[in-house]
Amino acid sequence: MALLQLDNISVAYDQQYILKDFNLSLEKGQLLSLLGPSGCGKTTTLRLIAGFLDAKDGSFRFEGKDYTRTPINKRNFGLVFQSYALFPHLSVYENVAFGLRIRKVKDDEIRKRVMKMLEIVSLHGFEDRFPGALSGGQKQRVAIARALVIEPDLLLFDEPLSNLDANLRVNMRVEIRRIQQELGITTVYVSHDQEECFSISDKVAVMNKGVIEQLDHPSVIFKYPKTEFVGRFIGFNNFITFTERQADGDAVLLTVNGLPFRAKKVPGMSAGMKGAIRPDDLLAGTENEISEGPNVLDGTVKVSTYLGRSYQYIVETALGEFTVNKEMLSPFENGQRIRLLVPPEKLVLVD
Amino acid sequence: MKKRYLYMLLMPGLLFLTLFMIFPLAATVGSTLFQNGQFTFSHYTQFLTDAYFLEILGTTLLVSFMTTIICVAIGFPVAYYISKLPPRGKSILLALAIFPLLTSSVVRSFSWMIVLGKNGLINNALMGIGLIQEPLSILYTPTAMIIGLVHLFLPLILITLVGVMENINHDLVEAAQSLGASRFSAFRKIVVPLSIPGLIIGSILVFVGSLTAYTTPALLGGKQRVISTFLYQNAITLNDWNAASAIATMMMIITFVVIAIMNKAAAKFNPKG
Repeated sequence: MALLQLDNISVAYDQQYILKDFNLSLEKGQLLSLLGPSGCGKTTTLRLIAGFLDAKDGSFRFEGKDYTRTPINKRNFGLVFQSYALFPHLSVYENVAFGLRIRKVKDDEIRKRVMKMLEIVSLHGFEDRFPGALSGGQKQRVAIARALVIEPDLLLFDEPLSNLDANLRVNMRVEIRRIQQELGITTVYVSHDQEECFSISDKVAVMNKGVIEQLDHPSVIFKYPKTEFVGRFIGFNNFITFTERQADGDAVLLTVNGLPFRAKKVPGMSAGMKGAIRPDDLLAGTENEISEGPNVLDGTVKVSTYLGRSYQYIVETALGEFTVNKEMLSPFENGQRIRLLVPPEKLVLVD
Repeated sequence: MKKRYLYMLLMPGLLFLTLFMIFPLAATVGSTLFQNGQFTFSHYTQFLTDAYFLEILGTTLLVSFMTTIICVAIGFPVAYYISKLPPRGKSILLALAIFPLLTSSVVRSFSWMIVLGKNGLINNALMGIGLIQEPLSILYTPTAMIIGLVHLFLPLILITLVGVMENINHDLVEAAQSLGASRFSAFRKIVVPLSIPGLIIGSILVFVGSLTAYTTPALLGGKQRVISTFLYQNAITLNDWNAASAIATMMMIITFVVIAIMNKAAAKFNPKG
């Protein structure tokens, strides 16, 4: 049975629904990310689980018990905030000890647990500092230690890394994953950064307008987005809207404007009429390199930009503009006629 | 502009302060330490051994302390409430809170006389519903002074507290709650210590204000003297300027001592404040 279960939850501000009939479940020990643009309802979902928001309708069950009306301080969930929310008037030690003091744990027990937790987040020796004297990464470690020391039943992260610089972000997310797996703690993680979510999660829920568009293992979402929104969000910049579709063995035959396309059939494939492909998966070449045929489009280079590892071209075709990345020594010129090949196994059909 | 010329900007203010504040203060304090050209503490020992003066001093300190405590007790929850309001509601309530500051303290004291007097609103109401048979004497007591001073100084503590409280990140309260703190203990362990700087400044303003207030105690206190009215009496009625100067110096010393104690207390409650 699922550890955490949201059933038909609705949340509204001023008559406006942020979540409507929202469902989510999570197994013990897993790290689930809620991924989506701002305003998609991911933070609302997190705040609802934490207990800061009341659901208008629906129920929230945790370990089989009804938690819908349980006050925040009775939930025993650890929370890590985007702003870190360290208590500025307390030392690092007292910040971490806060939850234990509330629980009236004995002093020597507190000492033991706080020191062990500071060890885990690699902040040994910082216990007498005050938050004002810490760097962003150190603050976030204290926040994590403070949330973990109470041995929470669930750990909640609200965009914990977005105030850190790029290098630190990568280090910290590895750290978060390490601690989460070491302690085997069930975690809900909110972020708008897909790389961050994909790298640390067991499951990712991509959200849009208060609805989960797709919930799956990160590698499945990365390869096979189910909807156009998910596709766009994770970098499928090119879309083709087909007019005809029919099955053909382990392939799907598609047509638009009389142009034939093939796509490889995969289990659970969408029945939609839209094809999506990443700029990295699209092949580009001169008319000599790619011959005419199915899955091929003629086009003209409109814009070219240098990405470092490759060049990126915006190509004007009969089906609209396509974005394609290609590693090459001497780039195509603007206005040059080229051909685009859509590899059938890389063309993903979405709703 | 060169940096050293920037100091020139300080000159008008500095000159004004030196001429009209530092000199008079030094002259006042200096005059209390000499008698007939001889250095002496006799002005002070004379007062500090005088039972009447000590009683006035006691009343003044009591009135000031009570005013401060009541202002804090009333002001703290109100300030917290105001600081949590959306901007519009906040500015309306703050304007209402400051409104009493815009009326003259003479007018306010007279209205309190109407309310608190033997035939005043309170006594009439209490006798009307039969709670008391004889009118209470509230007017011309320290209680009346405290009521008038609380009314006068409450806005000061509200403004300073709201200023500090609205800068407390609400995430901190939520973090405390997520760690198991009830609303009340989150308030006590997070909001209160982080409000200490505002509380100290507000309390100092109220205390010093009450200690030196003249109009309100003069009108509401009747025969009951406080230091400021006693000082006025010595200077104007008895024309004893040396005594008045000694009283003024003692008022200053009390003020400094109280501020020092409060700052010490603040440092203890909020080491990083």
